[in-house]
Amino acid sequence: MQQFAGYDPANNPLNTNEWAFPVCEVFHILGFILLIGSISIVDFRMLGLGISKQTPAQLVKDTAPWTLVGLVMILITGPLIFSSGPSTYVYCAGLLPDCYNRAFYYKILMLMLAIIYNWTIHRKVAMTPNSPWAALVGGVSLLMWAFTIFAGIFIAFV
Amino acid sequence: MSFLQSIQDTAFATSIRESTLLYPILLSTHLTALGLFGATVALTDLRILGFAMKNRPMADVHNQFRPFKHFGLTIVVLCGALLATSKINLYWPNPYFKMKMSLLLCVLIHALVFRKSVYKNLAEFDRTGVVPGNAKAAAIISMLLWIGLVTCGRWIGYWEAPTLE
Repeated sequence: MQQFAGYDPANNPLNTNEWAFPVCEVFHILGFILLIGSISIVDFRMLGLGISKQTPAQLVKDTAPWTLVGLVMILITGPLIFSSGPSTYVYCAGLLPDCYNRAFYYKILMLMLAIIYNWTIHRKVAMTPNSPWAALVGGVSLLMWAFTIFAGIFIAFV
Repeated sequence: MSFLQSIQDTAFATSIRESTLLYPILLSTHLTALGLFGATVALTDLRILGFAMKNRPMADVHNQFRPFKHFGLTIVVLCGALLATSKINLYWPNPYFKMKMSLLLCVLIHALVFRKSVYKNLAEFDRTGVVPGNAKAAAIISMLLWIGLVTCGRWIGYWEAPTLE
C-alpha cells in the first residue's frame, strides 16, 4: 500500500482493543440519525406529507442545530473508521472508481454532493415560502441521503 | 435448536440468507428507516428536555412526528425481523441479540408506563409551562433505551460463538 506508506493500522488504538471500533460505529449511526433523520423530516414537509402546522422554513430553523450536531458526529467518526483499515477502502492512488471499494467510492461521492446540496439548494428552497420547487428538492434530498446509507452498508458486501 | 432451525429453513428465510443482494438491501432499509425513526424520537425527547424546537409546543412536536415515528418503526421492525429470522440460528445464542430484544421489550414497557402520565399530557405541560420530573425521566430513559438498542445492534456483529471442541 504505497499511498499509506509509513502508516501501520495495527498500531491504531481502534485496532488494539475490542470496543473502540464498534463505539465509533455506534456514534456514526447516532450521528447519521440526527443528520439524515432531521433533514428527512424537512423533506417530507416539502413533499407536503405531514407537519402542516410549520412551514419548511420553520422546520429547518427548528432542527438545524441538531442536523449540525449529526454532521459533526459523522465527520469525526467516519475518518476514524476509515483510519482503522484504509486499505479495505482504497486499493491504489488516484481518483478513479477502480482504485476504491466501489460502494465506498459512491458513498463518499454522494455524501459530499448531499452535504453541498443540503446547505445550498435545499436550504434556499426550504426557506422560500411556497416555492414551486419544494417537492422536487425535498424528494431529491431523500433519495440522495438514502443512497448514501445504502452505499455505506454495501461497503461490507461488495 | 430444531425449532430455530425450522424457522431458518423456511423458504423465505433461506432466500434472504442465500441472496447476495437481499440481506444488505434489508439491512440498508433497516438503517434508513432508523434514520427517520431515530430523529423523530430524539427530537421529541430533546424537546421535552428543552434542548430542541423550544419555540414549538411539545404537543405539536409529539403529534406531528408521531406518524413518522410509527412509519419508521414499522419498517425498522419488519426489516429487522426478516434479517433475524434469516440467520436465527446464529443470532439466537448471541447475548447481544438477547440484550437487544430485552431492550425492545423495555421500550414497550416504557410506552405503556409513560403514555398516560406523560405523552397524553403534553398539551397540559405546554399550558402551564412546567415539565414535571416524570416527563423528563421518560425522555431520558427513552433516549438511553434507543442508544442501547443501537449499541447492541452493532455489538451483535462482533460476538463470536464459542467453537465446539
